[in-house]
Amino acid sequence: MPQMIACFKWVVDEAYIRVGASGDLDMNAVDYKISDYDKNALEEAARIREQAGGSVAAVTVGVPEATKGVKDALSRGAEKAFFIQDPSFRDLEPSQTARILAAVIQSRIPYDLILCGEGSSDLYARQVGPRLAELLGIPCLSFVQKLTVEGDRVVAERRTDEGQEVCTAPMPVLVTVLPDINTPRIPSVRDTLMASKKEVVPVRKEDLPDISSPFLETVSMKGTSLKRSGTRFTEDPGDVKAFVDTLLQKGVLK
Amino acid sequence: MAGIWILGENRELTGELLTAGGELAAATGEKISVLLWKDRSRAEEYFALGADEILVLPELPEDVPPEALIPVITGEAKTSQPGLILLPATVRGREMAARVAAGLGTGLCSDAVAVRWNGERKTFEMERLAYGGMAVQKVVFRTAPAMATIPPRTFAPAPEKEGRTGTVRELPGPPPSPVRVVERKKRERTVRDLREARIIVCAGRGIEKQEDLRIARELAEALGGEIACTRPLSEEYHWLPEDLCIGLSGISVKPELYIGLGVSGQVQHITGIRDAKVIAAVNKDENAPIFQTADLGIVGDLYGVVPNLIQEIRKARGQ
Ligand SMILES: Cc1cc2nc3c(=O)[nH]c(=O)nc-3n(C[C@H](O)[C@H](O)[C@H](O)COP(=O)(O)OP(=O)(O)OC[C@H]3O[C@@H](n4cnc5c(N)ncnc54)[C@H](O)[C@@H]3O)c2cc1C
Repeated sequence: MPQMIACFKWVVDEAYIRVGASGDLDMNAVDYKISDYDKNALEEAARIREQAGGSVAAVTVGVPEATKGVKDALSRGAEKAFFIQDPSFRDLEPSQTARILAAVIQSRIPYDLILCGEGSSDLYARQVGPRLAELLGIPCLSFVQKLTVEGDRVVAERRTDEGQEVCTAPMPVLVTVLPDINTPRIPSVRDTLMASKKEVVPVRKEDLPDISSPFLETVSMKGTSLKRSGTRFTEDPGDVKAFVDTLLQKGVLK
Repeated sequence: MAGIWILGENRELTGELLTAGGELAAATGEKISVLLWKDRSRAEEYFALGADEILVLPELPEDVPPEALIPVITGEAKTSQPGLILLPATVRGREMAARVAAGLGTGLCSDAVAVRWNGERKTFEMERLAYGGMAVQKVVFRTAPAMATIPPRTFAPAPEKEGRTGTVRELPGPPPSPVRVVERKKRERTVRDLREARIIVCAGRGIEKQEDLRIARELAEALGGEIACTRPLSEEYHWLPEDLCIGLSGISVKPELYIGLGVSGQVQHITGIRDAKVIAAVNKDENAPIFQTADLGIVGDLYGVVPNLIQEIRKARGQ
């Protein structure tokens, strides 16, 4: 019965970001969410546990406010969470997140299978999973669409550029998942209530070895406006005709 | 710094990375090494495209995945210390790059759309998209080697030059890999390349059933255009092939006309059509974000609107 770790990131919901006139990103009115594809990682761990038994620990690195995300993760089937937190953990780059996760997992969390989302919805660098596997010295299967645990190994269907590849690897192993691997559950009221009773293990920066400085320096982050004029038409036949006339005027219908 | 490394997966991708690498080699005075992994017969060709050295990766048995080469690449990089390593932003390229970067303890710019040498700061400077395509993140490196994955088609293929040659060196065999490939299924590329399409009709989740894609197809036909889709349709429902997915994790297109049917207009999708001349949308939700990023839109149920639209378009085009 596999001991599983599902990693997730608490991210800005990009739908709320506004781009200012000067190209600055306005984060004043943003909401946060568990990064989309990390929900698939949490779901996959929960699904495997429901079928094969074992345990699921949800792990995140973030700022103290991410505590809401920890609750959310616990309402998605994990029975325990490790919350690695510090106010300075706001804009970590993938290499730092991977190094912090590796340090905590190595020292505190037994595992057979680690699940990560394909990439996070904010930076979408798609580095943390593979970096973490490398730092832990375990095999990595990335971009997985279907996963089965068979005894002490996993069988994974990966998407490749040429098609698909079915691979096997012995546990312990790290798997990054694509969104089609499952449909993440919508936690019920009961799930949410249960989540508040589950154990959250806090890990602080002071408890960690020195996670050295970033490898990259972000020198700028400039927003680009995708806004366009947005002329509206209704579904009335007359309006549909006017819509087509506009396409003709714009010279895109030939 | 000791050279620029290029790890392309095939001739096409290597050719593109050689263009990127060539510009940087000119700016830095560095030599270019191409790591050959599948098509070892291509050494001469790559010299002609700009390589100065070929590093031949060991051949692997059928059931061993190319990722088994990662320790060989990392090991050689530790010894010869290149200043820059470029890989394609493909499925394999992304994983390999991240693992090599972790092994070397260095930074990696994923999906770099611009790479430059900053002579003043003596560092590579790169740009990539962030927040679903809403922002451009510019990074410089504090560690060496600098590493990047570069999306296919970001650079034009390198031109062939006569009379170039270089050295060839074999790299050692890999340690045993615990991963086995038990099956490979090739995907047939049956669809046309949308990047050249003049008119695109994009189906979104507002299309309720796979059969209803017919509506989008008929509209595309009336317009003389091609059909495309959002990520959920290709990657979650598998109604259409992945090659037709537009957006951050799919392809970027630049048609004269894009019409989204039941597409909400999340930034990850819209970033793939930012270069379209005219963006149009049909969506029943007047608050759908796509109306903010469209030039024109019809607020209405696509099932009612599209048949009328097809008629009007046929009339307009004299069909
Ligand atoms: C890291 C990351 C990368 C991503 N990459 C991509 C990508 O490359 N490409 C991509 O497309 N997405 C991508 N996504 C997903 C993206 O965020 C959206 O979820 C997706 O584009 C939404 O697809 P949709 O518009 O088809 O569906 P939905 O968002 O569900 O929208 C459906 C729309 O249809 C409308 N509708 C419903 N019924 C009707 C009807 N009868 N008539 C008219 N309108 C109707 C609804 O009002 C709604 O606006 C990515 C997400 C992440 C996190």
